[in-house]
Amino acid sequence: MSLESPWNRMSLESPYKHMILESPWNRIHREPGGNNLEFYTAFNEKRPIRLNAQTREFAWESLHGRYGEESLRTPVVAVDDIIGFERMTEYGKYDAAIARIAEMAPIRICEFETVSGAATLGGAIDHVVPAFWRGGKLWDSVSHVTLGFGKVLETGIDGIAQELILRLADPALGAPQIEILESMRNTIGALRVWHKRYLEALARVKPAIHGNLIHVPFKPARHFHEAVQSLWFVFAFERLCGNWPGIGRIDEMLGGFLKRDLASGVLTLDEAREILAGFFIKGCEWIRRDIPEDCGDAHHYQNIVLSGMDVDGQDVTNEVTYLVLDIVEELGIGDFPVSVRIGGNTPEKLLTRMAEVIRHGGGIVAAYNEPLILKSLTEFGYSTAEARRFANDGCWEVQVPGKTHFGYYPFDSLKILLNDTLGLNGTPALFDDFGSLYAKYLADLKRAVEGIYRDTVRDRTGQLPGADWHWRTAIPCSAVSMLTEGCIESGLSYLGGGARYNVMSPHIGGAPDAGNSLYAIHKLVFEERKVSFSGLMAILQSNWEGQEALRQYVLNQYTYYGNDHDEADAFTCNVLNDFAGIVAELKGRCPILFPAGVSTFGRQIEWAPFRTAVPFGRRKGDILSSNTSPTPGTDSAGATAMIRSYCKADLSRQANGAALDVKLHHTAVQGENGVESLVALLKGFVALGGFFLQPDVVDATVLRLAQANPEDYKTLSVRVSGWNARFVTLGPEWQEMVIERTAQGV
Amino acid sequence: MLLSITNIQRFSTHDGPGVRTTVFFQGCPLRCAWCHNPETQSGCPMLFYVAGRCIGCGACVKACPNGAHSMHPFGRTGRHDYDATLCKGCFRCTEACPAKAVEPVSRMLDPVEIMEIVLKDKVFYGEKGGITLSGGEPLLQAGGCLELLRLAKDNGLNTVVETAGHFDATHLAPIAALTDLFLWDFKDGNAKRHKEYTGVSNALILKNLRAADALGSKILLRSMLAKGINLEEEHLHSLAETASGLKHCIGVELLSYHPYGGSKSEQMGLGDNGRKDWIPSAEEMRLAGETLHRLMRPGIREPE
Repeated sequence: MSLESPWNRMSLESPYKHMILESPWNRIHREPGGNNLEFYTAFNEKRPIRLNAQTREFAWESLHGRYGEESLRTPVVAVDDIIGFERMTEYGKYDAAIARIAEMAPIRICEFETVSGAATLGGAIDHVVPAFWRGGKLWDSVSHVTLGFGKVLETGIDGIAQELILRLADPALGAPQIEILESMRNTIGALRVWHKRYLEALARVKPAIHGNLIHVPFKPARHFHEAVQSLWFVFAFERLCGNWPGIGRIDEMLGGFLKRDLASGVLTLDEAREILAGFFIKGCEWIRRDIPEDCGDAHHYQNIVLSGMDVDGQDVTNEVTYLVLDIVEELGIGDFPVSVRIGGNTPEKLLTRMAEVIRHGGGIVAAYNEPLILKSLTEFGYSTAEARRFANDGCWEVQVPGKTHFGYYPFDSLKILLNDTLGLNGTPALFDDFGSLYAKYLADLKRAVEGIYRDTVRDRTGQLPGADWHWRTAIPCSAVSMLTEGCIESGLSYLGGGARYNVMSPHIGGAPDAGNSLYAIHKLVFEERKVSFSGLMAILQSNWEGQEALRQYVLNQYTYYGNDHDEADAFTCNVLNDFAGIVAELKGRCPILFPAGVSTFGRQIEWAPFRTAVPFGRRKGDILSSNTSPTPGTDSAGATAMIRSYCKADLSRQANGAALDVKLHHTAVQGENGVESLVALLKGFVALGGFFLQPDVVDATVLRLAQANPEDYKTLSVRVSGWNARFVTLGPEWQEMVIERTAQGV
Repeated sequence: MLLSITNIQRFSTHDGPGVRTTVFFQGCPLRCAWCHNPETQSGCPMLFYVAGRCIGCGACVKACPNGAHSMHPFGRTGRHDYDATLCKGCFRCTEACPAKAVEPVSRMLDPVEIMEIVLKDKVFYGEKGGITLSGGEPLLQAGGCLELLRLAKDNGLNTVVETAGHFDATHLAPIAALTDLFLWDFKDGNAKRHKEYTGVSNALILKNLRAADALGSKILLRSMLAKGINLEEEHLHSLAETASGLKHCIGVELLSYHPYGGSKSEQMGLGDNGRKDWIPSAEEMRLAGETLHRLMRPGIREPE
């Protein structure tokens, strides 16, 4: 749970973990013997082709791991030979290491690239600063942050350098502040070195695009191609230094440049698409050939947020918005998860384009409910202008980009119920009525949340909440600090409290499982009195052994969260709302912001062995609910019912976010009506007050899994012939038919 | 008024325009050999028995007064036999079964109750979506259909009725007045074969179809094709001719036969009657679509 362990977080945290396991992006089919590149889709129609053959070839190579493999051959640079390295201060070492990276990292210029710069040190893929001393790492790097790339385009890096010079002229600065500010200047110096190496190489190797890198990223971008180059170059430098930043609102940043170029006629939309595609393809340069069998590789939180309103309340949607969707639709690139801010004013055309991309599967495009999130953020305490800027940290946790230091603390609310409240890991508790059971559970939940808060504050400051405030010294991270608002002004680093907002969010996991458990106890013990409280506890401790009839009864005769059943949904919604209330009480005790959030990402898998059997009939070790989604196998009323259940909680109180995963089979979203149905789901999700929707369209592999584990796939809808039905309700021969049809891509 | 309903399916995306909730009515006057929903044929109460869910606890055996359930360690389904011919539809077994291995095929529901469920998804329907009445033959329970359609219209919903067309003609006008679109099954243009494979003549079906058209009802014709049965020129000609003769036909949809009903029939204790040899190939379906398109008057939507 500690923030200092990004090694662990890397393997745990991808929100797309689920997606990767079920809809492998890298299983891209190349037609034998042909030049015809076919990018994988779960849909029954091929992906449209708009890009030229060279760009598609480039994408093919990148997605197949050519560049990732190359990077692994040069994992890190060594700093052993730097004279006096051992005696340097920590910042001195950092600056020397970054300088060494800039000087030594291999230069890579690809034949068909439209923008240059490459994060060629493979060690960065492992979330460290890829400069090693005596064969070992020096520092972890930073992720879960979206940097201030907009500023790079507007003022250029020179603008930031100028700001640093002015700030350093302040005689009131202390020595630690000066060291931090100087380190940012040195990092910019390293960027200049790296830039110069690329300019020289480009002049030789690829003079056609050399001109686009002369002014940027140091001067403000003047046109679209320069803007994309500038954004890419700085993003690539951050990744070269080991960091994994999110991109943020790319259409807002680039839209104006494109509009001007289109108006003046220097660029066509098709040309712009090729240029921008280069950005996305280069973003796949960390994909390795052999995919590690875990949560998939190459998802380094390079999140993109599209559309929504700007600071003045105007709709941001522009040609870049649509170009991004064109590109991910054609190439099936899932490495830049795209989240679209939708609301009442979202153009119909944009919703339709989202649906068309979603149909191809993989869950690349997700949706934020903008009106609810703006309400949530302003109620939490952000100004209206700041709230309107929201993007995310690289997953989907909402934050103000370029100004926020972010971390989150996931915990298992089901385990708290099972162990702390019910005592199933030791001597079971005894409750006479549901009210006293729930009160005890909330007290246990409160103790856990307060513990997280105390530990978070102590980790950062070495003090308890409420004491005199100062940040603990953190590891250097000047490459991140220089693009985070607040760091130059305060003379503090990103990790050392310099950001405008320091956000640490407790994330509740397993809430639907806790809600379902409470509901089953309420029904079985207190309402129907089918078994005594202590009787049920004994049954759970023996993992439902010898109690199959009763287990089947609780599994099948009760309706659980996710089926639009008010009585059952209330239990999960109460857990979520009461958790938000507990978190809200901690507000204002120190400058660390502490918004509530909901997530498991993939943790429901690793939590499973540490949970006992649960009251709603699942045995020890079963994999239960993800994020705010229903427990697998308990939902059977379809996607609309699931969305309605989820929206019954007051999700605006989860200011950091609460995701719902919805899986659909491609047959359910086939044809014109399929697109309209997806659009209707998105609109309903907004109207009902959802927060973040991750729709996914699934393929034959998933259907095979569904055949083997029908309990886990009850809501998977398939088109049968002239109608649709849930896959697991089909007879075996029909399942075979649907699978065969899917596999053939008919 | 209570209606016999086998299923209410939310988020249906292929039973008419937009997102819909489809209400499946029990009972059908046709006995199509290829029926996809055999549980909806009989108007009598019946059971589904799903062997995979049975835990072998024997609760149903104890509950059944007629001996329809029995336990056989080496029986046809492994441990439990269900003989539909002995079932009198008392449903004591479905109440007793903890695992929902035996379930009633249908439930008796009030139109208001049905509409409450349908309206839950109103936010998803938008302008196009709404309610679809299907089955079975919904018009066998015409009074209930009328009541449901009235409630749907009171709530501003789009209405679709899926029918096989074999119903008492007096029901047509009031139903048509409340129906935005009929999905009308056209089983076979060959009258003799129609009688042979569905148990009824197609005369009343065609008469009602033309009457609905005369009333101005929008109609989407649907025809399921089975290889060796109606997947041939005569039927396609008749289909094209019929569609072309309708003023308000918006299209013809060709569906491919699949032995979907087989396992459902098995679950009803009636044995698997699926016919793999009737499944048309994708190419045969494509050619049928082309033929149909060639024969139809212009303006009718190309078959899907």
